[in-house]
Amino acid sequence: MDRIDSEFSRFLVFLSMFDNTYSKNKQLIELMGNDFSLKHFFRLNLEKLVNDKTISKMKSWADENIIENYFDSLKGKGITLLTSFDQEYPEKLKGLSDAPMFLFCKGDLSLLNRPSLAVVGTRKPTNYGRIVTEKLVSEIARNGIVIVSGLAYGIDSISHRKCLNEGGKTIAVLGSGFDNIYPTDHVALAEQIAKEGLLVSEYSPKRRATVYTFPVRNRIIAGLGDGVLITEAGIKSGTIHTKDYALDYGKNLFAVPGNINSELSALPNDIIKSGQAECVTEAKDIFSHYNIKKEKDRKESKNNFQLSLEQQAIVSLLQDGMKDIDYLTKNCGLPIYSFNSNLTMLEISGIVTRLPGGNISLS
Amino acid sequence: MLSKVKSFGLKGIEGFPIDVETDVSNGLPHFEIVGLADTAIKEAKERVRSAIKNSGYEYPAKRITINLAPADIKKEGALYDLSIAVAILSCNEEYKIKNEDKYVYVGELSFDGSVKQVRGVLPLLISARKLGYKKFIIPIANKEEASFIDGINIYCVKSLKQTIDFLSGEEELFPIECCDFKVLQNEDSDMSMDFCNVKGQAMAKRALEIAAAGGHNLLMIGPPGSGKSMLAKCFPSILPSLTFEEALEVTKIHSIAGELDLKKGIVTHRPFRSPHHTASTVSLTGGGANSKPGEISLADHGVLFLDEFPEYSRQTIETLRQPLEDGVITVARSNATITYPANFTLIASMNPCPCGNYGSKEKECHCSPGQISRYLAKLSGPIMDRIDIHIEVDNVTYDQLKSDERAERSSEIKKRVNKARAVQTERFKNDKNFCNAKMSSYQVKKYCKLDANGDIMLRNAFEKLKLSARAHDRLLKVARTIADLDGSENIEAQHIAEAISYRQLDRKYWN
Repeated sequence: MDRIDSEFSRFLVFLSMFDNTYSKNKQLIELMGNDFSLKHFFRLNLEKLVNDKTISKMKSWADENIIENYFDSLKGKGITLLTSFDQEYPEKLKGLSDAPMFLFCKGDLSLLNRPSLAVVGTRKPTNYGRIVTEKLVSEIARNGIVIVSGLAYGIDSISHRKCLNEGGKTIAVLGSGFDNIYPTDHVALAEQIAKEGLLVSEYSPKRRATVYTFPVRNRIIAGLGDGVLITEAGIKSGTIHTKDYALDYGKNLFAVPGNINSELSALPNDIIKSGQAECVTEAKDIFSHYNIKKEKDRKESKNNFQLSLEQQAIVSLLQDGMKDIDYLTKNCGLPIYSFNSNLTMLEISGIVTRLPGGNISLS
Repeated sequence: MLSKVKSFGLKGIEGFPIDVETDVSNGLPHFEIVGLADTAIKEAKERVRSAIKNSGYEYPAKRITINLAPADIKKEGALYDLSIAVAILSCNEEYKIKNEDKYVYVGELSFDGSVKQVRGVLPLLISARKLGYKKFIIPIANKEEASFIDGINIYCVKSLKQTIDFLSGEEELFPIECCDFKVLQNEDSDMSMDFCNVKGQAMAKRALEIAAAGGHNLLMIGPPGSGKSMLAKCFPSILPSLTFEEALEVTKIHSIAGELDLKKGIVTHRPFRSPHHTASTVSLTGGGANSKPGEISLADHGVLFLDEFPEYSRQTIETLRQPLEDGVITVARSNATITYPANFTLIASMNPCPCGNYGSKEKECHCSPGQISRYLAKLSGPIMDRIDIHIEVDNVTYDQLKSDERAERSSEIKKRVNKARAVQTERFKNDKNFCNAKMSSYQVKKYCKLDANGDIMLRNAFEKLKLSARAHDRLLKVARTIADLDGSENIEAQHIAEAISYRQLDRKYWN
């Protein structure tokens, strides 16, 4: 919505201030009938719909000036308000039964209609989850697919960051208003996404995150992705909500299999076994659903890097997976100072990655 | 009858002269001490009387008044007992005491007349020597610590009777002989804490070597049982040996705090202090009623090891800022403001998360991401700014524990450290600081020249590895030390690259 140009649009902006549920908003609009003037609103009998507190709040804010000011303040913050009655409202959400009536957006709106993949999972991945997420996300993002996720710790933030690093586009769906980004550690990440991608929330800026806002926002994540990829999640994880929504909406569900002893691979393994999700072991498995025939290769610069003999010694030890520093220093045959400096050089050139716990793996 | 003898008081680590004036006059028997004396001195009355009586002398049944001059400085401790007793007895001509005012007396008296040891003899003697005092009478128990001071005559006594006999010429005493510090230091070397006993951990050992060579503070991050404490305890064994001047400095502080090993008399090795994380702020910084030195001053010229760093109270951690920067701590209390030296190397260790298993291969971590981030956030930016090196220490495997291979001895590492320190001594001969870690930003610009490759490396590192801006100067300082260890004039690319690998906490991968 660019500006308030009718009584109806004013009423919508008014409604967006209260973070009511979709169904309540719908009922309110129906109750108004065809007359959307504020005068009419005051005459309504709202007791059956909302509680007393909300009624008094709504009545006190039902004022043209307040609504105008609020709308201007949104614009001032660079926030676009999309309503389900707008042209720009994403097609992907339009058909859904519980689609949000309001979407607060900050960033590049065109991303909403691009081919996309939601990547979700645990907030505390293992090194395995970290590696596979980064690997898949970087290949997917390089091929122009928008990565959708939820700005949470773990898989979410890894996906956003990796995508941005690869120069890809990403959408973060928040479980709170823009003024109360949660977790606060990710405020800087959110700002970067607002600049280079898109931030989306169904909550008005002042709204704080609560326990139930996150499962609810998961439906938007599932809705905005053309598919949903689960890399690592426990059997009781909140990721289950996203999975259920994805199945409800008929989206493609992808999962990365993992060690059967690992608690955090339980959910992906489970949904692969039950046939709900497609098993993904490489990015190609996903591309076949996106009409991507020819994959773009890694950036050339990385291949140009000439490995010294010392660096080759380190890389060769990493060929069969992640190793810890002690193992490497013992087996590479290099003095420790030379090992350290060569490892950093490999890291800078993007060939190896350092993981928590003193572990090293090939990127 | 009036008599006057000398004693010495202590304010912080500096001594000041005190005149003990005694007036014995006719009147009702009475004993009074004036001159801002604390309770310990007031009680000298009873000790002195019993000691005089039990040494076979007559305690004058007269009016005795003692003045501790200068009268406006607070005095504390029991070290004036001996001087008071001598002053009282010298009023009695029967005992033929001569030249009693030529000596400085220090010592506590016991009821049986024996002279007991006192705290702070070494700093007191050093100050007194500076002020030109030549002859001292001290308790025999303090002999060892006094024996490192040359150029003055020190007589050790075991009792009041011996003191009086010496003063009256009935017994001859000889000044103590000066000890050779180097000999004692070598005799005293402790071989149990040696890096050759640490299995694996090549990375951590190298980082500690660099920390020792450049005087850098270091933080170890690792799960419980990964050997962080063991590594830290071995750290002093690769630091350059204490010089005699440094040893005197350290001994002074330990002597005041009453922490000195009286058999040795001097601190021969770099102190290693590891206060528990429940330690109060005052016990760390120093202070209390008589402004005693705290743990960080006791760690002067040595190592302060803070295990479980984030578990210390926020306030305690933050008070380390000034000493880490200036090498001194100023303790201001209502009755005194005292500056103690606090020139230590900080070795801190912490777990990667509250449960300790984050990133571990064997065990699962049960902390929430928020908990982990709060745990790490306990270390504020300004403190992290003062820690040059962060490393991860991982669990040692069973195979490594059982392996018979002998690692490099501390003495070998120490040779390299000494070489690098020599380079720094030459570099900073016109400056105040003596090691790379203490360089100012101006000095960093002057001494940390990068070659072209090094510059490209640093630029790439900042872009690709997302290092924080505060890492920049730290990196250059550490790289300077690595280049010194390498014997290289300029900082080359490989030195920078190695330095970067010791900045783990600057990486963004923790969440």
